[in-house]
Amino acid sequence: MEAFNYTDTTEFMERDFSNSKETGTEIKIENVSMVFPDKNGGEPVTALQNVNLEIKQGEFISLLGPSGCGKTTLLRLIADLLQPTSGNITVRGETPRDVRLKKKYGIVFQNPVLYDWRTIRRNVCMPMELMGMKKSERTARVTKMLELVGLLDFGKHYPYELSGGMQQRVGIARALAIKPEILLMDEPFSALDEFTREKLQIDLLRIWNKTNKTVIFVTHNISEAVFLSDRVVVLSPHPGRVSAVVDIDLPRPRDMECRQTPEFFDYMTKIRNSFEGV
Amino acid sequence: MISKKERLRVNIVWVIGIFLVWELGAFFLAGVLNDPMADAKLPYLHTIFWVIIQNFSELLGAAGLTFSRAILGFILGAGVGFLLAIVMSLSKTVEKIAFPYLIFSQMVPVLGLAPIIFNLVRDMNTSRTIIAAYITFFPVSVNMLSGLTSVDNEKKELMYSYAAGKKSIYFKLMIPYSLPYLFAGLKIAAPMSVTASILVDMLGSSGGIGVKLLYSLYSGTKDMFWASVFTSAAMGIISYSIILILEKKFIPWKKEVVQKEGA
Repeated sequence: MEAFNYTDTTEFMERDFSNSKETGTEIKIENVSMVFPDKNGGEPVTALQNVNLEIKQGEFISLLGPSGCGKTTLLRLIADLLQPTSGNITVRGETPRDVRLKKKYGIVFQNPVLYDWRTIRRNVCMPMELMGMKKSERTARVTKMLELVGLLDFGKHYPYELSGGMQQRVGIARALAIKPEILLMDEPFSALDEFTREKLQIDLLRIWNKTNKTVIFVTHNISEAVFLSDRVVVLSPHPGRVSAVVDIDLPRPRDMECRQTPEFFDYMTKIRNSFEGV
Repeated sequence: MISKKERLRVNIVWVIGIFLVWELGAFFLAGVLNDPMADAKLPYLHTIFWVIIQNFSELLGAAGLTFSRAILGFILGAGVGFLLAIVMSLSKTVEKIAFPYLIFSQMVPVLGLAPIIFNLVRDMNTSRTIIAAYITFFPVSVNMLSGLTSVDNEKKELMYSYAAGKKSIYFKLMIPYSLPYLFAGLKIAAPMSVTASILVDMLGSSGGIGVKLLYSLYSGTKDMFWASVFTSAAMGIISYSIILILEKKFIPWKKEVVQKEGA
């Protein structure tokens, strides 16, 4: 895979600090519960129960837990893809719906969700078309984004011509294209093999370091969560709730060697133990 | 996967094989069984081709007349089918109301419908066009609709997350996604529209390949009959090939779609 190009860092430093402070609260989740009615008339399923969480601006936060713990549900609530049964979510004082309508979310799904009929360039371009951005501006931005994820040479290809890891990087480029303020990632690397995943984790940290977005990252992989995050929110199932919040004080920038430090293992053990307590 | 060269070789073998079997069969019927009707039942293939070459301009004129109406009707029918699918996908109510009647419409045999249409419009060309359109719209509509309803949720959610409007969702997602399905429908409909147009010829048109078929059959000019049959077959194949070429042009990305039988 290709190395990243660092020539243009200024573009990604641009950030709107005008309406909130660097360390301000970006997302506030208060007493949020989510109950899904059972389709066959059985017992309703409580996906989340009384979740409270504050996410700071520019923070990289992971939602970690086994299947059924409601981590994806929580992400979808923030993204306004679902509405909570009770409780309140605010993003800089606004509702998730307002934030979505202002196109301030970038979402990366578990599958790359590329549009098969568009070339890589036009896939990255798509959200900008929806924003009504000028064509010249779009073209320049697409080039920058593909450069950022190291896929500039593949712009004219169709998605089926790319490997799974490359497709997922296109998904990340597309999510970042409209300069979202919050990047929501729903198990984006879980379908990839271990080598590709570790490579993409490092790629993601580099991109995050450049763009300084708030990232909410859903995963069921403990080492992935520790490696990437500032904070790991551990969720436990039946019903889904926050069982622990672990600050990860590993120095940044983190590289492969970081995974072999005793501190790294300490965090992994700590998080694993917090599951056993459940 | 077979390479292009190999496929070509296979095709050549097939063509030669069919030619030989046909010629042998004709020889067997005429020379061995001494069947007096041999040239009607199975004439020599080379004589059929000879008749086609001799009457080429005549056949081409007749075929052109029928084919042009078929194309016109096909385009009309495809347009109606496409729009109908869009409307049905936009409104569940419309789908629920319209769909049973769509299926019902296909139960009326074209053979019975054609004279009614002809009586109504009293014009051969218009009748050909309408019947061809009538035949076309159903498979196109059904396939297009099945494309529109099978767009995966994640792709829609992506649009939703960018707060895209209905128009954008349709033009950037739903319609391009459904194109392979649309073409599956068009491929079924194209030869059918040609068949329908030929059928209308036979109802008493003054020109067209269907008239050639009918007259030569009744007047006992067997060679001409077989030449007309071959021309009709060629028209069907050409109509299908045109759609195939368009499909390659409009769908440069890969996607396999299982064809749904339209009728």
